[in-house]
Amino acid sequence: MLRKEQNDYLTQTGPGTPLGNLFRCYWMPALLAEELPEPDCPPVRLKLLSERLLAFRDSEGKLGLIDEFCAHRGVSLWFGRNEECGIRCPYHGWKFDVSGQCVEVPSEPVESGYAKKIKLKSYPLIEKGGVLWTYMGPPEKQPPEPEFEFCTVPLNQTFMTKRLQESNWLQAMEGGIDSSHVSWLHRGDLSNDPLFKGAAGNKYNMKDLSPVFEVVENDGGLLIGARRNAEDDQYYWRITPWVMPCYTGVPPRGDHPIHGHFWVPIDDESCWAWSYDYHPTRPLTEAEVSAMRDGKGIHVKYVPGTYIPAANKNNDYLMNRAAQKAGKTFSGIEGIGMQDASLQESMGPICDRTKENLVGTDNGIIMARHRLMRAARALAEKGTIPPGVDPEHHKVRQAALLLKHDVQFKEGAKEALKAKKGVRQTSV
Amino acid sequence: MLSESARMTTAREASYRIQYPNSRERAVKVIALDPVAATVLEPISKGAWHGAAFFTSLNFAATATPGQGLDAWLKDVTGHAMNLISEVAASDFVVVITSVGEDARAVSVIADACKLHNKTLVGLIVPREGATDADVTASLADLRPYARMLVVASGADYIEAMLTALRA
Ligand code: FES
Ligand SMILES: [Fe+2]
Repeated sequence: MLRKEQNDYLTQTGPGTPLGNLFRCYWMPALLAEELPEPDCPPVRLKLLSERLLAFRDSEGKLGLIDEFCAHRGVSLWFGRNEECGIRCPYHGWKFDVSGQCVEVPSEPVESGYAKKIKLKSYPLIEKGGVLWTYMGPPEKQPPEPEFEFCTVPLNQTFMTKRLQESNWLQAMEGGIDSSHVSWLHRGDLSNDPLFKGAAGNKYNMKDLSPVFEVVENDGGLLIGARRNAEDDQYYWRITPWVMPCYTGVPPRGDHPIHGHFWVPIDDESCWAWSYDYHPTRPLTEAEVSAMRDGKGIHVKYVPGTYIPAANKNNDYLMNRAAQKAGKTFSGIEGIGMQDASLQESMGPICDRTKENLVGTDNGIIMARHRLMRAARALAEKGTIPPGVDPEHHKVRQAALLLKHDVQFKEGAKEALKAKKGVRQTSV
Repeated sequence: MLSESARMTTAREASYRIQYPNSRERAVKVIALDPVAATVLEPISKGAWHGAAFFTSLNFAATATPGQGLDAWLKDVTGHAMNLISEVAASDFVVVITSVGEDARAVSVIADACKLHNKTLVGLIVPREGATDADVTASLADLRPYARMLVVASGADYIEAMLTALRA
C-alpha cells in the first residue's frame, strides 16, 4: 500500500517533479535507430517524461532531439522539411539545426543576427546498440554513455523492440520485478514459446509453483532471487536484476537469447515498454529473429506501421475465453507481452495503490519503490547522483543456476551476475 | 464504437472504483531476533500501527512437563511477556528482524511455531556498523531455511517502509 501522496510522488515524472528530476539523471531509450534510418529522413515526434519533442537526422547524419514546436508561431515541426542540415518550418520558413539553434529567419536580414537569438530546447541523442538514447537532465551533469550489455554486443547479436503501453510507467515496471506472477499468468508459455521452450530449468518452474524469494540491494538497484527446489541438496535460482530507475532483466532459459525491458514514461498515463533480446557470445539465428519479429517471447505483433500492439484495448486484447477455459493460456490473452500489458492497463491509467494489499512475497516491489523515493529525495535535498547512473551499474546480468542449499545467491552467482565480454550467460 | 476495455481503462472510469474497504486489519507480529535489532525496533514500535505488535526479545524456559522441550516467551516493548505459540497462532504473518552478523538462530523456534499454525515468515536483515559480507552470508544462512521472503536492506528505515506497505 502507498499513501496517495507517495503514489503521486512515484507516478509523476513531468518537468520539475521529484521523480521527473530523478529520471532526468539517466540516459534513456528514446527511439529505435530504425525510426531515423538515414540522413534527411522524415522527422519523428515523440513525447518523453511529459515533454513533446521532435527527433531528426540531418543531411550529415547528425541526430537532433528538439522542442517539437516552432519558436515563431508554435506549429509542430513534424510538418517541417528536413533539408540541408536543418528542419525548416513549413509555415514561414524558419529553420533549426540539430542543436535547436535557429539558423534562418527568412523575413529578417541575415546581418541582423536575429536568428542567433532564437534557440529551441534540445537534448543530446546518441545511437548505441540499435537504439537512440537521450539524456534530458542538466548538461553539466551528463553521465557517460550507457553500457547495458545488449547495446554493447555486435548488432547481429542483439534485437530490440518497443510497444506502446497505455498505463503509468510504474505499474508496468513493477510487473518486471514481480517474479511471483510468472508461475500463474505466463504458465502456458514456458513449454510453447519458441524463445523459452526446451530449457532444462523449465521443469523446476513447472514442478515447484511456490518459489521462495530473496531480495538484496546492490549498487545499481536490486537483485531479486527466486528459488525453487531442484535435485539433491540444490536450489534452482532465477535472479532478476533491476537497475534504477526502469531497467529490468528476465532470468535466462537454456541457450535462448537473454531478454528484459526498459519502462520509459511518455507521460503520466502511458509509457514505452522496450524489449531487448541478445546473446552475449553468438549471433542471433534467423529463426530467433523471425520469432521475435513475429511477436514471440517478450515481443508483440503490431498494428501495421505502428508500435501499437495488434492486441490492444480497442479490441479487448483479442480475449479468447475458450483458450482460457482450456488452459492454453492462463488469462485468455496470447503472448507474454500482452498478458502483462492487458492486466497492467486494466488497473487504470495510474494505479491507485492506496487500495492494494501486498503480501510478504511482494517485497521486491516494496523495496524498489522505497529505493526510488529514497534516491529522489537524496537528489532533491543533497544533489546525490542516484544509483544506476554509473555505467558500471549497467554491467549486471540476469542468471538462472543451481546452487547448493547453503550458498548465498549473491555470492554463489557473483560471476554469473557480471556482464563479461565473450562469456556466455549462466543459464540452465 | 469503443471496445469495453478501451472505455474501462480511462481515468474517468478509474474514478468509479468503489470506495468500500477491501481488507480488514491484519495482525502482524514483528520480532527482533537480537539485541541490536531490538534497539532499532523500539522507536519504530511507538509509531501508529494498525494490527502490528512488536517484540524485542525471546526467552526460553523449561516447560512444566519434562520432555516437552522449551516454552518460548516473547517480550513486548513494555516488558510484558507473551507466549510465542499463542502470539503466532493469533497472527496473520510474522516478520523477524535481525542485524547483520548477530546471532539469529532463535528464528528456528519462531519458525516451528509458524509451521505449527501455517503462518508465513518474512525475514528482514538490517545493517549493522562494521559488518562484513561474510556476516551477511551468515545472517542469510540463519534465516534462509525458514523464511518465505528474505530481504537484505541497506537501511533500517526499510523496516518502517515495509510494514507500512504491508498495512501492518
Ligand atoms: S491476484 Fe495479484 S492482482 Fe489479482
Ligand atoms: Fe509478466
